[in-house]
Amino acid sequence: MRIVEVDPTSCVACRNCEYACAFKQTGDFDIKDSNIRVNFYPEERACIPWTCVHCGEGWCMEVCPAGAILRNPETGAVEIDANHCAGCKMCLLACPSGSIHFDKVELVSKKCDLCGGDPACVKFCTSGALQFVEEEEAYSFRRESLDNKLKRLFGLNKRGS
Amino acid sequence: MPERETVQTLCRMCDDRCAINVYLEDGKIVDIDGYKEHPWNRGRLCVKARAAVDMVYHPERLLKPLKRTKRGFEEIPLQQALDEIAERLLAIKDKHGARSISIWKGEAIGFAQEEDMARRFVHALGSPNYFSNDSMCYNGRYFGYRLVEGSWPVPDYENSRCVVIWGANPPHAHPNMTQMIMRARKAGAKLIVVDPRMSAIARQADLHADLKPGTDGALALGLIQQLIETQGYDREFVEHYTVGFTELAEYAKAFSPERVEEQTGVAAAVVRELARTIAAAAPRVAVYVGNGPEHHENGINNIRAVACLDAILGALDREGGNRLVEGFKANHLTLYDEIPLEHLGPIGADRFPVLYGFRQECHTMTGINTILSGEPYPIRAMILTAANPALTNPNTLKVREALGSLDLFVVRDLFMTPTAELADYVLPAASFLERVELHTHAKYQRITMTRKILKFPDVQDEYQFWHDLAHRLGIGEYFPWEDETELTRWILEPTDISLERAAAHPEGIEYTPIRYRKWEKEPFNTPSGKVEFSSQYLKDLGYPALPEYKPPAYLESPDPEYPFVLITGARKLIYYHSRFRNIKRFRTAIPGPEVELHPEDAAALGVADGDSIRITSRIGSVEVPAKIKSAVEILPGTLQMTHGWKEANVNLLTHDDRFDPISGFPLMKAVEVQVENV
Repeated sequence: MRIVEVDPTSCVACRNCEYACAFKQTGDFDIKDSNIRVNFYPEERACIPWTCVHCGEGWCMEVCPAGAILRNPETGAVEIDANHCAGCKMCLLACPSGSIHFDKVELVSKKCDLCGGDPACVKFCTSGALQFVEEEEAYSFRRESLDNKLKRLFGLNKRGS
Repeated sequence: MPERETVQTLCRMCDDRCAINVYLEDGKIVDIDGYKEHPWNRGRLCVKARAAVDMVYHPERLLKPLKRTKRGFEEIPLQQALDEIAERLLAIKDKHGARSISIWKGEAIGFAQEEDMARRFVHALGSPNYFSNDSMCYNGRYFGYRLVEGSWPVPDYENSRCVVIWGANPPHAHPNMTQMIMRARKAGAKLIVVDPRMSAIARQADLHADLKPGTDGALALGLIQQLIETQGYDREFVEHYTVGFTELAEYAKAFSPERVEEQTGVAAAVVRELARTIAAAAPRVAVYVGNGPEHHENGINNIRAVACLDAILGALDREGGNRLVEGFKANHLTLYDEIPLEHLGPIGADRFPVLYGFRQECHTMTGINTILSGEPYPIRAMILTAANPALTNPNTLKVREALGSLDLFVVRDLFMTPTAELADYVLPAASFLERVELHTHAKYQRITMTRKILKFPDVQDEYQFWHDLAHRLGIGEYFPWEDETELTRWILEPTDISLERAAAHPEGIEYTPIRYRKWEKEPFNTPSGKVEFSSQYLKDLGYPALPEYKPPAYLESPDPEYPFVLITGARKLIYYHSRFRNIKRFRTAIPGPEVELHPEDAAALGVADGDSIRITSRIGSVEVPAKIKSAVEILPGTLQMTHGWKEANVNLLTHDDRFDPISGFPLMKAVEVQVENV
């Protein structure tokens, strides 16, 4: 399956992803409705985007007493069925990364569903900090970054001047 | 199920012009997302693009011509509006001469051929008076680089080892540039950001030089001094391809890191570190200068000093540096060769000869004075197309008075703006989804043709408007093409790209392959044919030949009555100058204007976040809610307020009589103000 890979070293906290997700959910730009969140810490100059990684063993799925959280067989996304959600908020507690939030209007839990396989947050990410990648290839940019350093260190980059 | 159709075109919600898929159902646009095949944006978009759906079908959209009457604006038929406008233009031409008629082009209509249509029209009519938003944006940087290098190069981000973003905030101002910068970083490039504020791009900077507003030249000269002193410059390039190096080196000597620290507030150690970082990456140093340095009284010489770095580092037109662009050799609509009108005294050309000489632009602020004074000759009519100077030009009250006093003021726009409210006729304009035109992405040397996807009955595209008016005014011979498609065919005529081929390639067509080091064989587009650290052209016009530094007035002679310095015009992602305030969900995200200030200043004033404060300059006063930033995001004593808000218009504060002497750009990013808690 493919997941949303996040790169805090490319994110500029422009909030395009949050607006795009909120728009997909509600038609508005209230970032409280977004299933992806970007935290910006000015003192540290740190921008940290985060959303659900659709765990292999989803603790939210396990804990849900209503059985409302299921894996989409096509996309692999862990999805909440709002029609079955009882609003007990136990999934919020169970999620180790805080990727589920509670909608106080609809009284149900909300989380990323990968937009059915074409996530809006990635399409509207202008920095490239978000990529939609096969899970086994996720974070390979870390290796590529090391490759670039090694290329430079050993003078392997012979192109141009 | 309604039939779904997908059409590719370019977004023109801002000047990035990203490729988009437009989805239609029964001829109505229902969605927009990014088109992956265009190399420019590779399928990525900012959230403004999708809002084009809301913009074109907005309930406030102007769809009928309006005429001012005693009872307010009334709808009139399109043909009647054009007849009446033509009749009144001819009467004004008879009474005051052709040059009393002027055009003002704005940013909402798009560049390229539509700008040139307006230029063509006014010249065909016999007037040299073409005004535009470029009196305040773009031209300043173009002049700075053109004077030094012969044109404004594009940064070759992806191949660079060090990216320098100087006075720009791409994530908000040019969103698509962000992914290019981040690709460079992922490949190991350092990122340097020069900005008084910790902008969005500065959040990822390896080095952030938070200099005092308007001191850019001191920092650039300081870097030049360090590069020369530490032998970190490209001797061979400088020797063979430049003029004035000895003089520049001599002048830069005075800019030691300690002197730079005293001027800019950037620590001497940081200045040395910046110089070391760019020297280590040379010649793969890509520099992009934004709008920040333009709006200062020494703006152009500051930008020239930054431009000199390209040549000193040997980065100019080298891979990973700043590449000189080869243009698209198509037909041009302008008539400057066929009908030269310089003898008629284009407004502002005498005081700002570079502005007219390089860009054939008249000076808008002088234009406003001319409308009011009638000196040196009357300007009595104006057709303004999709600009909003009643919010975006400096000294709003004067702008409003002038535009409201014209004998004939015609405005074309998508919406009723504060500028349109002053007009005699307001004509509905076509959005970018309703027009065919050619766009160039200089970075990829590619042209892409946009599509006419929608048509509203009484809404004319730009060409149809100028065509129909020209034919009523006896200058129809200059507008012989039946429609904009035929015009585009003519524009493409001398090229090897046909209209049909352009239409078949929504991913764009490379018009000429990218080459580096063109200077090995071709001269630079400067009078000497070399890079000009020192400019005889400027010297002959009475300006300093070297990119001399002058400290900004608020530092050189502080005014105790106005102890704060106000930066205006920092961009917001979802707004584009004064546009899009009527998109409802944008208001959810950013509900209204605010002024950013440092927490220490807020504490001293007794201001809490969101409190209303009054800002006053020698020009005027506004009240606006305070946004207290973190101590690292803005300098103490410095405020920032974004333009384009009707509710709190920052240009009530800005000066329309303090200019950069070369470009005529107004001082808008270092305005002396006082602040009160109200």
